[in-house]
Amino acid sequence: MALIIFDSVSKIYSGKTVLHNFSLCVERKERMAILGPSGCGKTTVLRLLAGFIAPDTGTISIEGQTVANNGEILVPPEQRHIGMVFQDLALWPHLNVEGNLEFGLKAQRIPKSERTQRINEILELVEMDTYRRARPAELSGGQQQRVALARALVLRPRALLMDEPLSNLDEELNQFLRGELLRLHAQLAFTLLYVTHDHAEATEIGTRIVRMRNGRLEQIASAQEFKLQRTEDRRHQVE
Amino acid sequence: MRARRITLSAALLILAILGLAPIVLMFMRSLTVDGAFSIENYRHLLATGRSWQLLANSLALGLATALISTLVGLPLGLLFAKTDLPLRRMFVLLFALPLVIPPYITAVSWADMLAPHGLASRFFGETTAQVASHLMFGLPGCVLVLASTFMPAVMLATMTFVRTINPRVEEAARVSARPLRVLSGITIPLVRPGVLLATTLVFLLALGEFGVPSFLRYPVFAVESFTQFTVSYNFGAATALAVPLALLTFIVLGIEWFALREKIQSLRPASNGDYNYFVPLRAHRIWLFVLVSVICALMVITPLLSLMLQAGSWQSYARALEVVSGSLLRSIFLAAAGATALTALGFFVGYVIRTRAMSIWRAVDAGTVLLFALPGTVIGMGLIALWNRPATNFIYATPLIIVFGYLAQYTALTGRVTVAGLSLVPTSMEEAAASAGAGWMRRLARIVLPLVKHTLVTGWLIAYIFCLRDTGITMLVYPPGYDTLPVRIFTLMANGAPALIAAACLFMIVATALPLIGVASLLRLQRRHSWR
Repeated sequence: MALIIFDSVSKIYSGKTVLHNFSLCVERKERMAILGPSGCGKTTVLRLLAGFIAPDTGTISIEGQTVANNGEILVPPEQRHIGMVFQDLALWPHLNVEGNLEFGLKAQRIPKSERTQRINEILELVEMDTYRRARPAELSGGQQQRVALARALVLRPRALLMDEPLSNLDEELNQFLRGELLRLHAQLAFTLLYVTHDHAEATEIGTRIVRMRNGRLEQIASAQEFKLQRTEDRRHQVE
Repeated sequence: MRARRITLSAALLILAILGLAPIVLMFMRSLTVDGAFSIENYRHLLATGRSWQLLANSLALGLATALISTLVGLPLGLLFAKTDLPLRRMFVLLFALPLVIPPYITAVSWADMLAPHGLASRFFGETTAQVASHLMFGLPGCVLVLASTFMPAVMLATMTFVRTINPRVEEAARVSARPLRVLSGITIPLVRPGVLLATTLVFLLALGEFGVPSFLRYPVFAVESFTQFTVSYNFGAATALAVPLALLTFIVLGIEWFALREKIQSLRPASNGDYNYFVPLRAHRIWLFVLVSVICALMVITPLLSLMLQAGSWQSYARALEVVSGSLLRSIFLAAAGATALTALGFFVGYVIRTRAMSIWRAVDAGTVLLFALPGTVIGMGLIALWNRPATNFIYATPLIIVFGYLAQYTALTGRVTVAGLSLVPTSMEEAAASAGAGWMRRLARIVLPLVKHTLVTGWLIAYIFCLRDTGITMLVYPPGYDTLPVRIFTLMANGAPALIAAACLFMIVATALPLIGVASLLRLQRRHSWR
């Protein structure tokens, strides 16, 4: 059974339909990239799945459980076990690295000993264990990215949602962190939904690509198919 | 550059002459006895047990008011800014109402309500009303009145600072935590510096408040200082009594400056979002609505209702109009003149602070806030010390001295509003005009002022409200025959008929509310017009 199912989901903001009849299945442990220009509705897909907003029509299910249905949120965000990394990272400035990681664990009532163990493990994994007392403002852009990723992963979510998290970084760091993300995925095998407007980023991170335009799902293809088609398209354009 | 330097220097010089010089001179006068240097006033102050009692009373009043204002204002601010509570906009307007009404009017209405034939005795019986009335005249009454007056400051500050939080920061927490935990673990810690700033301000305003403790017979430094001055005309003793207040203000502001300022400045949204993090109250909506309604009825509606009942028939209003019409018109005129002067001075002061156009911008910022937080009676005595001399009688004997008082105390308000407005205008706007060859004055007139005009109108309104409700300064410096409505009401409170006082208080509220409604309607019309 698919982990996540969007079934004919639509969303309207201030009279404007930002998502039209959107249907999608996401399999366990797969890496899916959602690609499209600004304002095409890709962030809305993540916000619907995280439970921050309700679909006006349609159903969203996670592991067979309906979490939102026709304008109603049935399962609140904290009970969905979905992790999210935001475009601007949204690290809590008043808490240090450890505090950022511990907040969610405490909220989920994880015992102290397990909290410590999980934090140690994840900080080691993202190579940030020497920065546990640092505040977000004291970290570089790349270090902040790692903390945001660690904060989401420490909760061991069923799926990790990433909303253009590397878009504000320079190309070199962007490239490096993509590699890091793939390494972490290989080690932890989580389900990943990665939103981007960059074709290269989408095909490198996603094993499947979902292309969106004007709030509609335009195409679903494997990364290989997508690359092939793009090369074809370019050749046609040149000819 | 020259025009800029001259204009800004002139603005700061005016501020120094009107605000700083009176305070310095007043302090020097307190160190003089019979024309010679002496610390006798302070020796006497420290030697008497009454001074320590006054200090304890003043601190108790300030602390209790600040505490209650925060305990009520913070949750209300969060409810109105973050949840789907029904009628929250109406509640914000209602709760903000006491902030624009002079606090002693609220004191009058509470005293009326608890009087032998007042509202309380009708509903709860005479014995209960008597007990409540006994409590009213003392610390509990003062705290009740001042907390209901200044609580909106904490509430509005909470709402303002909550809206500066990047909504993604809260959503990131919502992924793993319930809404209440997000509030306690993320939202409240992030707005804590801003709320503490508002709490500090409430503490200082309550500390320097003179009208309410005077009416409710609770001895504090501000009242004692005023009494020494007006009854005994002992200027040295009065100023010596005002100095502890000034010192306390200075210390508290110093702590606030070093501990909170940088943290507040870091409260900026990481990026602009097209949505806000909102907490649906669901099942808690009804009981929270009822609770807020009860608090609103107690703190806002009941005192107003009590005033209306006390005023009674239309004859009382007609009689009151006859007695106070001159003061009412003078109040409106002086408040409008003061607000206009404050908007102009505040603009240049705000410009210096925002653009850091002069190296002393920090001192200017701190100085205006200090003057705002100082008790009005302290500034009033300072103005007398500076301007009450034959050479400056052409100012001191005219209503101009009242406007000078307003400028001395309230420049921080219009200055801060200007800073907020200017921070929304990208620096590149002025730079683009400069590169197009426009001089500073032209840039200011054609680019900056049109971009911040709505902010300046807001600043004018805030200044108007504060000038209109001023008692501390006006009471001390108004020339004979130029009393304002707050002063008139205050003097009527000694021996006037309760119905007459209540009606005059209601006139005062109308005088405050009418320009607010008028300007708000004009702005709304203008905005609709500009959309078309």
